[in-house]
Amino acid sequence: MQNILEVQHLAKRFGSSEVLNDISFSLAKGEVVSIIGSSGSGKTTLLRCLNFLEQPDAGRILVSGETLFDAEDPSTKLDRSLRHKRLHFGLVFQSFHLFPQYTAKRNITLAMVLHAKERPNYRAEKREILAEIDARAEALLAEVGLSEKAALYPYQLSGGQQQRVAIARALALNPEILCFDEPTSALDPELSAEVLATIRRLADTGRTMILVTHEMSFARQVSSRVLFMADGRIHEQGTPEEIFGAPKSPRLQSFLANA
Amino acid sequence: MATFVTVSLKLLEGFGTTFFIFLITLLLAIPLGLPIALCSMSRFQPLRWLSRGFVWIIRGTPLMLQVIIVFYGPDLIGMPTSLPRMSAVVVAFVINYAAYFSEIYRGGIESIPKGQYEAGQVLGLRKGQIFFRITFLQVIKRIIPPMSNEIITLVKDTSLARIIAVRELIMEASTFIKTQALLWPLFYSGAFYLLFCGLLTILFNRLEKRLDYIKV
Repeated sequence: MQNILEVQHLAKRFGSSEVLNDISFSLAKGEVVSIIGSSGSGKTTLLRCLNFLEQPDAGRILVSGETLFDAEDPSTKLDRSLRHKRLHFGLVFQSFHLFPQYTAKRNITLAMVLHAKERPNYRAEKREILAEIDARAEALLAEVGLSEKAALYPYQLSGGQQQRVAIARALALNPEILCFDEPTSALDPELSAEVLATIRRLADTGRTMILVTHEMSFARQVSSRVLFMADGRIHEQGTPEEIFGAPKSPRLQSFLANA
Repeated sequence: MATFVTVSLKLLEGFGTTFFIFLITLLLAIPLGLPIALCSMSRFQPLRWLSRGFVWIIRGTPLMLQVIIVFYGPDLIGMPTSLPRMSAVVVAFVINYAAYFSEIYRGGIESIPKGQYEAGQVLGLRKGQIFFRITFLQVIKRIIPPMSNEIITLVKDTSLARIIAVRELIMEASTFIKTQALLWPLFYSGAFYLLFCGLLTILFNRLEKRLDYIKV
């Protein structure tokens, strides 16, 4: 099976602290990989590197065989090409970061509209393109179960609803790999459940996803593979059964015992 | 009664000048503050220091002195023509207020959470798109209260124009002391400022309400 994502020997340091150290893993199409580990183990930094919000100091990132980033090759670090590279990935943030001045629907359509404006046929087929975008937003809202909230502003939505809008926003540009950075950490258990249900549905439809989470039972149910990170390294990886059922290293055993 | 009407008309004339200074300053200083703010936040250090040094000088000296310098300064260093009085006032006011506005803009821009930029970045948007489509309105929302404060100050600062004999409201009013030994027109002029500032306050309150739907 062709790997959609290939991460090779990624490293990142902030000042003197090594946040990521020799991270290598791959992701097949349709796979859901969960990343677990205690705070400060580098999980979030890894996601940020994949979304080009941080620049790794070493290593390579390949998507569908194309080298998007190579620390050795300066031509892959140009600002100009960055925005197109980012489109391979979607990112759902821990604290949503919805745009407060736009309605739920407009949050979803904004990027689609701005990207559509760069298409050569935009002026000629503006009406059709905008209708298409609107329909897509409606479909995405339905997918996250918020059709009737389309016209509401973020502050009028609960945290769980805001996060579901954020998921729909990330899906709008149809990224090949959808990343979640602790999507339920800012939510109480009840609201977490509706967000997790949404993520589970996405997993069931075969979306390729990377999920950084503290929800161990959810990670166990939804993942095809689990990475355990500690001190900026991938300490142990395997199927959910291996990681949760038969953890090998003492480090993982003690992490799971305390989780 | 006849004096009251004469005085009122004369003061209205002065208020016209006052309003003119106010409006032109606002129209020019509001846009000019933005490049200054952007320079103050630049990653290129010389530009940042230049901009911050400029703001320091402008905010650190009296506006009255700045008006005098703009009007008499060119002559002093041997430049052929000095500016007409009104132009000198406008130039000094625009520079002064642009510096103050730039600091308000900078505070507003820097107060927007980083997550808003990052949310735009991961959607593949350009810097300009992120600024104008995502952060701009949030910045506007945040700077309306400090801006209204500054703009209301500007209304009253226009009275400094009389230092180089521009016939604004206060100057017109104080003329009556010399010519007719009347002091009350000067007190009366306060009503013009008061009324105008009241109007602006209502306007800004409305604007604030209009942006109430943005909760940042």
